[in-house]
Amino acid sequence: MNRRTALKHAIAATALSLCAASGPSSAAELSGPVNYVIPFGPGGESDISARFQQPFFKKMFDQDMVISYQPGGGGAVGWASLNGLEADGQTIMGINLPHIVIQPAQKEVGYTTEGINAFHFFHYTPDAIVVQADSPYMTLADLVADATENPGQVTLSGSGKATANHLAQIKFDKLAGVKTTYVPFKGTGAAVTALLGGQVKGAWGYTTVGAAQGEAVRMLAVAMQERHPLFPDVPTFIELGYDMVGGAYRGIALPDSAADDVVTMWSDMISQINADEEFRQQMLDNGFAMLDVDAAGMDAFMAERTEEYLSDAREAGLIE
Amino acid sequence: MEAGSFLAALTPLNLLLALAGVAAGTLIGSIPGLTATMAVAVLVPITFTMEPASALILLGAIYTGAIYGGAYAAILLNTPGTPSAIATTFDGYPMAQRGDGDLAVALACFASVTGGLVGALALLFLAPPLSRVALAFGPVEYFWLAIFGLSLIAALSSGALWKGLAGGAFGLILSSVGVAEVSADIRLTFGSQTMIGGFGVVGALIGLYCVPVLIDLVAVPERHLKIADEIDTMPIGRAARLVLGSKVNVLRSSVIGTLVGILPGAGGSVAGLVAYSEAKRNAGPEQRFGQGEPDGIIATESANNATVGGGFIPTLVLGIPGTPPDAVILGALLVQGVRTGPALFESGGGSIAYTFIYGLLIATVLMLPVGLLIGRYAYRSIVTIPKAMLVPGVAFMTVIGTFAIHNSVSDVTLMILLGVFGWVVGRFGFSASPIVLGLILGPIAEQGFVQGWIIGSAMEDLPGMFFGRPLSLAIIAFTLMSLCWPMVAARRQARATP
Amino acid sequence: MSDAARAGSSTGTLLVSLFFIVAGIVTLYDTTTYTDVDSKVFPRAAAILLILAATISLVTDLVRGARESGFGNGDWWRRLLLVGAMLACCLAMPLTGFLPAAAIAFLGALVAAMHERWTARHVLIYGVSGAVLMGGFYALFRYGLNVPLP
Repeated sequence: MNRRTALKHAIAATALSLCAASGPSSAAELSGPVNYVIPFGPGGESDISARFQQPFFKKMFDQDMVISYQPGGGGAVGWASLNGLEADGQTIMGINLPHIVIQPAQKEVGYTTEGINAFHFFHYTPDAIVVQADSPYMTLADLVADATENPGQVTLSGSGKATANHLAQIKFDKLAGVKTTYVPFKGTGAAVTALLGGQVKGAWGYTTVGAAQGEAVRMLAVAMQERHPLFPDVPTFIELGYDMVGGAYRGIALPDSAADDVVTMWSDMISQINADEEFRQQMLDNGFAMLDVDAAGMDAFMAERTEEYLSDAREAGLIE
Repeated sequence: MEAGSFLAALTPLNLLLALAGVAAGTLIGSIPGLTATMAVAVLVPITFTMEPASALILLGAIYTGAIYGGAYAAILLNTPGTPSAIATTFDGYPMAQRGDGDLAVALACFASVTGGLVGALALLFLAPPLSRVALAFGPVEYFWLAIFGLSLIAALSSGALWKGLAGGAFGLILSSVGVAEVSADIRLTFGSQTMIGGFGVVGALIGLYCVPVLIDLVAVPERHLKIADEIDTMPIGRAARLVLGSKVNVLRSSVIGTLVGILPGAGGSVAGLVAYSEAKRNAGPEQRFGQGEPDGIIATESANNATVGGGFIPTLVLGIPGTPPDAVILGALLVQGVRTGPALFESGGGSIAYTFIYGLLIATVLMLPVGLLIGRYAYRSIVTIPKAMLVPGVAFMTVIGTFAIHNSVSDVTLMILLGVFGWVVGRFGFSASPIVLGLILGPIAEQGFVQGWIIGSAMEDLPGMFFGRPLSLAIIAFTLMSLCWPMVAARRQARATP
Repeated sequence: MSDAARAGSSTGTLLVSLFFIVAGIVTLYDTTTYTDVDSKVFPRAAAILLILAATISLVTDLVRGARESGFGNGDWWRRLLLVGAMLACCLAMPLTGFLPAAAIAFLGALVAAMHERWTARHVLIYGVSGAVLMGGFYALFRYGLNVPLP
């Protein structure tokens, strides 16, 4: 091409790049350390998955991720305060399903499911029935048999009431046609302690419990589509004839007044961490199951889950 | 246990971390509102770039320093710096009021170090077997333990038994405010959104203990605490002699602290309470517990520091955190890829665990000089500062400390209102400790009761559930003993004096 | 204790005990609104214990004669100023940010606690040390501990 066209191209290119650089700051940016609020106490699955994200965040985006805890009301205190926080993108909060669907449906908790500005769900912990290593239940069928013969006498611990564990217990009881007794504990840790101490016959927990406790426990079944890579010997509920897939989903939200580009920025950042092979491997090795629901797919995902949980809870008698 | 692990704990870096950790922890713990959990949680990211053992040593050192540091405010301002120091106020503040505050601080240091050593040694030698204790405690045992704690409140409020019980019951009710753990009901919030989280222990602690002290300080011109003639030298010798002379008390309290620390969810406050009441029960006739008795401080401070080592036992062996800071440390360990479990203590994977334990021991030993030094300056400053600086300074710190718990202004407002309430009722004989202890023990009692009830009903053996288990029976026996002892002792004394 | 003081402290004891009894009754009433049986047991037991203990302590106090209690001497205006300043700090914080609000509390407490006469030297020393204290802790919490102070 002759010089004139080359010059035109050059000018056009420069003009274009100048526009892009000085246009409306469409690329939102972090302006300092971010505050990641976990609406539970330390040590739980929400905390641990956030701790796993922390070093990757620092490495990828060169900013500190400060994790703080705001426990209370099974998460309600934190979620009720979410939309009052700074919406500049420096503060994010962990969110959990089914909690954020069931809690507002049950009572006045200070927030609504629709009001939660979720932008990513990055993992879930599949439900699993866990028993002690020396328990007489070798398979799920053993447990079902015991529950059928002695209705109400099979005690199963779990974290909280109207939570994933509780819903799982109700659902399974219905599918198997048995009656077990659910004993609520404050958090998965306490539920597992009770199991290990023999206070209860089994526990409704997650695959993460199996990973953390290793040889001390046996998982009878997991609520996944396919077996978890970490536990190739543990059958799924589906294989055993019970149509149960699910668990507790965990994600992150921003205050609802956050700008769209802030939401997109965060969604992309978390997706980037979630795509990292090392991160995924670390999560899997600890019993988590990965999920990749970003801001774009959020509405559809939430609608599906909301409908599922509300109908489950209604059938369980937890809500009207 | 390998010599290699021990040497690894002695590297310059690890020694420096232990020293810095203990110093920082002591300072953090002394500020009411700042808890060990907060300090540990904030520093976890720094540890990602360190070796796992070094990270653990730093976090453990901060933790143990913070538990000790809580004694300063307890002794000098009648405000527990951390919930673990609640029982230290019983004798600590009276000692300070009569001019023996420096002795009290020195006693706290010696006692904390010995208690911490006992806990860490238990961790070193007996971790796997002792972790079974953590598992043996079921819901019913926790319920009876909480009842035992409440009975101690009654027994300790000698002369004002019914006021103490009323305070404790009120604390139990305060603990019910908010979302119930055992069901999903919201209780006693009267429609208010701010109350959904209930009354936090730390905020209530500061409000009920510190604010009344401030309110009384401003009202009169007298100095806050008497200045002893010589404040330049700490009565270290005297304190050491007192501790050596109370070997039984020290040992018993440390063992109690270790055992209570092993129980997940019990915590330093319960340990201090139980140790204190046992020390009081075994007191000599000339001892005046509650009026500035050195053995009181020795008991509580050795017990609460022993919970540090004790708490690590279920944390490292079972992966179940013994106390809230342990939960944070556990998270940090997981990120580092360290697997908890009995394998951690065998020689292969054992080096991290053993290096950490040796590091904890070293940090505890270092706490002696560091603690005495910091204690001397703390004592000097609190005693010599004019009131016009002390009161605003403490008021400011209570505001910032309470705010920092949940980043919430309403927490601060609640703290102040509770403080005024505490001052008013305190004026008429209702002291703060029963209320706070009720607040702490309430959830433990309730959850234990409801869970025990559910399991017992499922087993169709309720009486057997609550009254048939050996551990429960032992706790019930202690409860009855602590309730009856004051009457027996009074009768014995009445008979002895003609 | 003078008769007037004794009467005063008796009334005080009466009022405080009454408060506890009322609190217990309110709790009992609230428990009737709970849906789950599990959540009623504990508050009810605690409320009954509270009402019982408060009543008994009230009776024993009236019968035995109240001990040294009551509000004692001391300047009321100082107490009110202290509490008022701290509450004002809470109200101001969402509007003015942390440091100005904390300064209100600090100043109020300072004036309340100051029993000596004010001199220029006092103003200087207290002012400077106050500023250093507040600034130092603010920095510690904000940057060291990453607490988002407003």
